[in-house]
Amino acid sequence: MAENPVVVFENVTKIYQVGEVSIPALKGISLQIPRRRFSMILGPSGSGKTTLLNMVGCLDQPTDGKIEVCGEKVAEITDDRISEFRAKNIGFIFQNFNLIPVLSALENVEYPLTLLGMKTSERRERSMSILESVGLSDHARHRPNQLSGGQKQRIAIARALVKGPSLVLADEPTANLDSKTGAAIIDLMHRVQEEYGASFIFSTHDPQLISHAQDVFSIRDGELIEHRSEG
Amino acid sequence: MRNKLYFYLLIMALVTGVLEKAFSGEENRPSAQTVIARSDAVRNPDRPFRLDLRLTEYVDSSERNEIILRVYSKIDRTSGQFKNLVRYMEPPRDLGKAVLMNGTTMWFYDPASKSSVRISPQQRLVGQASEGDVITVNLAKDYSAKLVGPHDGETLDDADRKPRKCWHVELTPDNDVAIYGRVEYWVEKDTYRPVKGKFYSDSGRLLKIAYYHKYQEQLGVFRPSEIILIDAVNAKLATTINSSGIHAMDIPDSWYQREFLPHLKVE
Amino acid sequence: MTTLIIAARNITRNYRRSLMTISAIAVGTMSMLLFGEFVSQIFVALETQNVVRSGHIALFRNGYYKYGGGNPAAYGISDYHSVIRSIDEDPVLKPMINVVTPTINLFGIAGNFDAESSKTFFGLGVIPADYNRMHRWDEHHLKLSSSADEPLNEKDETHGFIGAGLARILGLCETLKLADCPERQGGDQETVRTESGRNRRDFSGLADDAKGTDSNAEKGLAPRLDLLAATANGAPNVVNFYVDKAIKQGVKEYDDSFVIMNFNLAQQLLYGRGEKKAVSIVLQLHRTEKIPVARARLEKLIKDKGLDLETRELTELQPFYKQAVGMFLAIFSFISIVMAVIVLFTVVNTMSMSVMERTQEIGTLRAMGVKRKGIAGQFVLEGILLGLIGATVGIVIGSVAGEIINHAGLIWQPPGQAYPTPLLVRTKGVGHLLLGIWTGLGVMATIAAWIPANRAARMKIVDALGHV
Repeated sequence: MAENPVVVFENVTKIYQVGEVSIPALKGISLQIPRRRFSMILGPSGSGKTTLLNMVGCLDQPTDGKIEVCGEKVAEITDDRISEFRAKNIGFIFQNFNLIPVLSALENVEYPLTLLGMKTSERRERSMSILESVGLSDHARHRPNQLSGGQKQRIAIARALVKGPSLVLADEPTANLDSKTGAAIIDLMHRVQEEYGASFIFSTHDPQLISHAQDVFSIRDGELIEHRSEG
Repeated sequence: MRNKLYFYLLIMALVTGVLEKAFSGEENRPSAQTVIARSDAVRNPDRPFRLDLRLTEYVDSSERNEIILRVYSKIDRTSGQFKNLVRYMEPPRDLGKAVLMNGTTMWFYDPASKSSVRISPQQRLVGQASEGDVITVNLAKDYSAKLVGPHDGETLDDADRKPRKCWHVELTPDNDVAIYGRVEYWVEKDTYRPVKGKFYSDSGRLLKIAYYHKYQEQLGVFRPSEIILIDAVNAKLATTINSSGIHAMDIPDSWYQREFLPHLKVE
Repeated sequence: MTTLIIAARNITRNYRRSLMTISAIAVGTMSMLLFGEFVSQIFVALETQNVVRSGHIALFRNGYYKYGGGNPAAYGISDYHSVIRSIDEDPVLKPMINVVTPTINLFGIAGNFDAESSKTFFGLGVIPADYNRMHRWDEHHLKLSSSADEPLNEKDETHGFIGAGLARILGLCETLKLADCPERQGGDQETVRTESGRNRRDFSGLADDAKGTDSNAEKGLAPRLDLLAATANGAPNVVNFYVDKAIKQGVKEYDDSFVIMNFNLAQQLLYGRGEKKAVSIVLQLHRTEKIPVARARLEKLIKDKGLDLETRELTELQPFYKQAVGMFLAIFSFISIVMAVIVLFTVVNTMSMSVMERTQEIGTLRAMGVKRKGIAGQFVLEGILLGLIGATVGIVIGSVAGEIINHAGLIWQPPGQAYPTPLLVRTKGVGHLLLGIWTGLGVMATIAAWIPANRAARMKIVDALGHV
């Protein structure tokens, strides 16, 4: 690989404690996810796939092991520091779009920049620009409940990318879209990946999306079964 | 020489005449204070005595209430005022109750509770307690007397509508504890028997009118056996006080202590 | 796009629920405001009544306040003229004082013996001009008008007022034209206690002198009473007293024994031929809040001149006033607590529901990098907004309701008052009340929102995101 991997897992274990029962979700996984590629995490439900993604997104802490994201050791830092890290480096795209209902399309896109304390004028400019990229500048003032599924996901993508993150995590981004819209979204994501140089990590069942994978990580029963890389 | 003798004899006669006149004046025109003192002596003996009093209260001239008291009286050596120990004899439900009047303090004793309570001046404004003051008052001691009527007396009807020739005297208090602001008193000329008294408050209002009559011999002196007290504030009230059975007796000073009250024996 | 705007938009999100919450808070605020204004009015009215009646500060002989009730004559102030002069000439006191006047308290028996009635009475002897001036005190501009407006007779020393109950007991209903005064009825007849039955004796010839007092015809229409009392020296004393008017007093015991008479007449009755003293010296100030300053100055004056006097102020002179104020404050505090608890529960409930509904949103925000305190702050702000909007609405409605009440012509009779008065709520000068309620409820809403907000902040991100 030309650059350092965007994500490094070293013997990562995650055990959930449910009352008296311990459930191991990840069992000593070690992997490296390369930069600037479409990487996918595949596996059946209950395989630990979601847990893995949560670890990558720094949304949860491992029970054991080391994790490095964008070159930072994120395993044992405070909640506030990790929030800051996420705000700066990671963009999220969700299955259910997860737009803030009381904010307009533009405001939703601006939100991550507000978190980073950007000046209003600069923030406005950047947000409008990316809204244009995803072709929704006409809907800037619309609320999410006035947009279709595909439009919402495009806003979500714009939001995830507006701050130029190193890493974008997408959990089943095409699951709630029809195949035509899904294809359009996939195209968009390709475009922004090239434009912004972000690393995309997906968790998906969508064969259409999988066919665009450059790296595939298969997980089963909390263990990495296979890592296939293309080019 | 003979003229000088006549002159001296004339002077002598004149002088004796004047002196005679003076002496007879002393007899016929006593000082107001003397009049009062002697009238006090008519009312009350100067040695310790016991007597029975029948008090009858009238409302609108109708008899309403009657009590019989036995009084033990003695003059206090220091104050010159009477100390009185009063025992209720009748009606039967009041039997055994007692009142002790010592100077300005009055105590009431109830055998049922075996305790004595002080009767404050406020409580003596009306009722039986207010009458006690008039009877026992020693006027000469506490008041200064002044003759206001003619020297040889004015005519006044007594309680029985009999005209009497009386010295009309006005009394004013000599000290702070004298009860009345002013007293008008009519004493029968030469007999020194009190006929009528009008007792006024400090504010100048008439409080009571007293008539003294039915004179009888008691302990060697003719004393009023009945006193009529008319309430001048509550015009419907009148009380008659009849005295009888007066006895001279030795009364120990200890009887006039509040602590002694429970030990009174029924005679 | 500040947190405030987001909070505001979130409130309008569930319009009905927010409206319910705001309404609940508004009603609570309005209730507190109206009751607070009602209580304020009562305080001001009570203060005025009591200041009018007994002034702000009274000077007594040491020990009178506690022990002198049974024997006021024993606690007379000998040189009251010079004490009053010292007070009048004092540079600190003079500007504060409206009236300084001597008074006498006494008790005795009041008799209308022609009607065979008598009753113990409590008398207050005052200087009529001073008393009437005290009656006009109106620092709070209440303009209370009552029948007590008729001034005490300044011309004739022997005239005065008595309580309506006393007038009734003494059989003066008709002559004083009292309302609500039926013919005397009931009671046992005086029993005749002699065995000999009803004997009669004619004292008529002897009693003529006793009728030497003035008849009614001489004095015009004012009925005459005998007032009997024992002087300071224990002697029985009696004066003529002419009743100009019977005035209903608020408390029955007072009403049945109250006599207000001229100071000179009271002196004559209580001191007789003895030295004429006063029982107390009463000060009425211009402003009630000056009591501590005035009292301190008086104490200094007393100490400097070595006088055997003590000072008592309004709440000591009128313990009922202090008790009434205390009671209303307690009720108001109770109501405030209840309202605060209601606001607390309402906001907690609303915010909890809001948090629960927005679980996924919370997860999203956290994923995007919002810190815990950011989440908490968002919800707290929403709670505050609800609270303050509700409080503001409540105050506005409450103010309007207050005006409506004041113009509705309602009347009531507060305890201790003789006559019904208009039922009013105090709308002027209650700024601190408004501010206190508004701020208090705001604080309450903050505290209330904090509980669910904290819960929101502590959510595990992955659980929140997974929440549908």
